[in-house]
Amino acid sequence: MKKTVLLSILAAAIPFIVGGCASAHYVETGGSESVVTVGQINIQDYIQAANAATSDLLASGALDKVATPPAVLAISRIVNNTGQQIDTDLLTKKIRVALLNSGKAQTTTTMGLGGTAEDPMAKGLQQENEFMNDQKTTRKPDFTLSGKIIQTIARAGSTRQATYSFQLSLTDARTGLAVWEGEKEITKQGARPAVGF
Amino acid sequence: MKTRIILSLAGMVLLAVTGCTSVNTIENAQKEGQRQMVSDQRVITDASLARKVSFVGVNQTMTPGGLLKVQIELLNLKRSLQRFSYQFQWFDASGMQINNVASPTIPDQIEGGESKFISSVAPTPACKDFRVKFIEN
Repeated sequence: MKKTVLLSILAAAIPFIVGGCASAHYVETGGSESVVTVGQINIQDYIQAANAATSDLLASGALDKVATPPAVLAISRIVNNTGQQIDTDLLTKKIRVALLNSGKAQTTTTMGLGGTAEDPMAKGLQQENEFMNDQKTTRKPDFTLSGKIIQTIARAGSTRQATYSFQLSLTDARTGLAVWEGEKEITKQGARPAVGF
Repeated sequence: MKTRIILSLAGMVLLAVTGCTSVNTIENAQKEGQRQMVSDQRVITDASLARKVSFVGVNQTMTPGGLLKVQIELLNLKRSLQRFSYQFQWFDASGMQINNVASPTIPDQIEGGESKFISSVAPTPACKDFRVKFIEN
């Protein structure tokens, strides 16, 4: 009797043990197995938008039109016009890294919006160097990168649709004119569950 | 005879249910642009996808900044919409893969009978070769 009960308990526990072990696994970031949600910007959306913007910007040749390449880029404001709290670095960092790797542009970390440096220590050292050498060594940015992320929601019956527009502008810092502009739209559709939230 | 009629009707119903649509196109006959086609090498492991979406050809060009730009023409051999994802990989002159932080798997779709182009720009001037992976969604 005891043996039967023990075996029954063990048999019942096996699926939980096996299931528990198999519940978590790694997936490729931005790969085809990634979770897709309609109401949120997923990591693959940022990767797609950054890739589209970088490819388009590099192909335009706008960054090549500087006197002393590579071009120097400063990151300006990226406005979040979605209903979510997002970190725009998820978009801009990917673009920065890709541009740096391409050899076409470098981003300044000692200049930022409202005089705030991304890297205060680098800015301090730069100012100290300028004071010691009594000359300006800072290279001013050739371009600034600004943009906006917009969310558009549509519903029809139980179907929900969200479009995320990633709009970016590259402005010539000398003339104040946008020399490149890009927009990538990502639309996702899904059905709202009949029961629940 | 009766069986044929039933089968035809069943086929029509199936087409109506699955929503088969195909694309009609019109374009200029005398082309101004000349595509620089490249010979390609194909590895087909998903015969099902290959029967639905075929590769028509690959052409390439250089951007003003000296980056390789590749364009692939796809053709949907079926009369219904097909969904797939693709990813570009780039290699340098030594055949080493160049890691790109923004190298996404891009979900895409192609209407029935549609001919579609997908393209990508190499992330660095060092990129000399490419490979594109396709997977059915």
